[in-house]
Amino acid sequence: MFSELVALLITSVLLNNAVLNQFLGLCPFMGVSRKKSSALGMGMAVVFVIVAAGLVTYALYYLVLVPLKLEFMDLVTFILVIASLVQLTEMFLKKSSPALYKSLGVYLPLITTNCVVLNVCLVNISNGYDIPHMLVYTVGTPLGFALVLYIFSAIRERLEVADVPESFKGNPVALVVAGLMAMAFSGLAGII
Amino acid sequence: MNRMQNFKNGLIKDNPVFGLYLGLCSTLAITTSLNNAIGMGVAVIAVLILSNVIISAIRKIVPDDIRIPVYIVIIATLVKIIQMLIQAYAPALNSSLGVFIPLIVVNCIILGRAEAFASKNGIFDSALDGLGMGLGYLLAVLAMSFIRQLLATGALSMTNPFDESQVLFHLQLIPEDFTISMFSAPLGAFMTFAFLAAALSSYKQHIQRKEDEAAKAAKIAAAQAAKAAKEAA
Amino acid sequence: MDLTRLILAILFFGALVGIYIFLFLKNRRTPKPAGCENLKADCDGCKDIYCPNHPKEES
Repeated sequence: MFSELVALLITSVLLNNAVLNQFLGLCPFMGVSRKKSSALGMGMAVVFVIVAAGLVTYALYYLVLVPLKLEFMDLVTFILVIASLVQLTEMFLKKSSPALYKSLGVYLPLITTNCVVLNVCLVNISNGYDIPHMLVYTVGTPLGFALVLYIFSAIRERLEVADVPESFKGNPVALVVAGLMAMAFSGLAGII
Repeated sequence: MNRMQNFKNGLIKDNPVFGLYLGLCSTLAITTSLNNAIGMGVAVIAVLILSNVIISAIRKIVPDDIRIPVYIVIIATLVKIIQMLIQAYAPALNSSLGVFIPLIVVNCIILGRAEAFASKNGIFDSALDGLGMGLGYLLAVLAMSFIRQLLATGALSMTNPFDESQVLFHLQLIPEDFTISMFSAPLGAFMTFAFLAAALSSYKQHIQRKEDEAAKAAKIAAAQAAKAAKEAA
Repeated sequence: MDLTRLILAILFFGALVGIYIFLFLKNRRTPKPAGCENLKADCDGCKDIYCPNHPKEES
């Protein structure tokens, strides 16, 4: 049981990485990776929102939707819960902690339409995870996202001064870098 | 003719995927086969047209303050309906597209068009805009999956989405010993996308340069004409 | 689908939408803390110029 959970953690952080293997959350990956500081803020905001949304949607699904046989409402419920949580967190940070709002609150509005969040909520249900597996997966996936986003931003700071062909400037060359990172990460496949 | 121009721009020049970089996640993830690409493209077109029409129809009664929550609820409901239809009539497609069908909800093309176009224009124009943008998305995923399937498996093939045992066509164009399996892996997806986007960007720069030169030439011609008229007078 | 489940579904849906709209409006009316009024995420991942987070181009 324990070794299985560790394997799931490693898989969700490194081997089946949200960005590089599942192609999720590419918009913030391209958009908020110009500076290391903004990548860090975005990464932390994503970790927080995913953990909160994962727990709430899992509870709502098994405590409300399943007993009432309303499973078909999963998608609408999840997206509304995510959107509400983002609003709640932003409001809370505005009121209680200006410093925290400054570093990660500004990225919160970008998270409502981040596919990693909705994906974690949906996969928790569709893979039929029990509570320990759900917890590990819900924490591991955003950690993998934040890790790759931070590494990518460090590479991109150097890329800014590189001499890139005119038509590859901006996003195309960033995608080439992401592809090479995916290849590097696939070398980790032998860990488990 | 403005409408036609809008429609055409959505296909090539302002292609939502390669031009605007919207909806990248599903484009990279599902383009391993033509089947997936067509299924996903049709699903996106359906959601986009319906959401544009509904949002345009209610644009005058929705208070401006809460329009984004309203859009999200409408889009989520539409996607769930499409997902249930696919589950019922094309189960093979449903299992190969997996989580990317429900993830259409957070596809920026849909919310982006709702906000940028459907909330300001009439029902007919919005439907046409949805169709144009949706076809642009379909074109992009088809181009990606054409390259990736051909290079990774050496064959182009399609099966009937409603009955997976029925093969529509299967062309083995490259012998199996010469295929590059990298193109079905993430690296191939990122590379294919980067090169297609760079190609579009270089095409746009080419057009821009031509327009600049034409404008310059016209300016010089006008100045010369003015000079000639002055001298004649 | 029987009537009770339909009513429950509509009630549940209405409650979620209500909570979201309430929080959305409440958050909008909460002022940003001092020093953060002009902070923006400046996400330039896509070229969708209508997105409120897209940095405005100077021209």
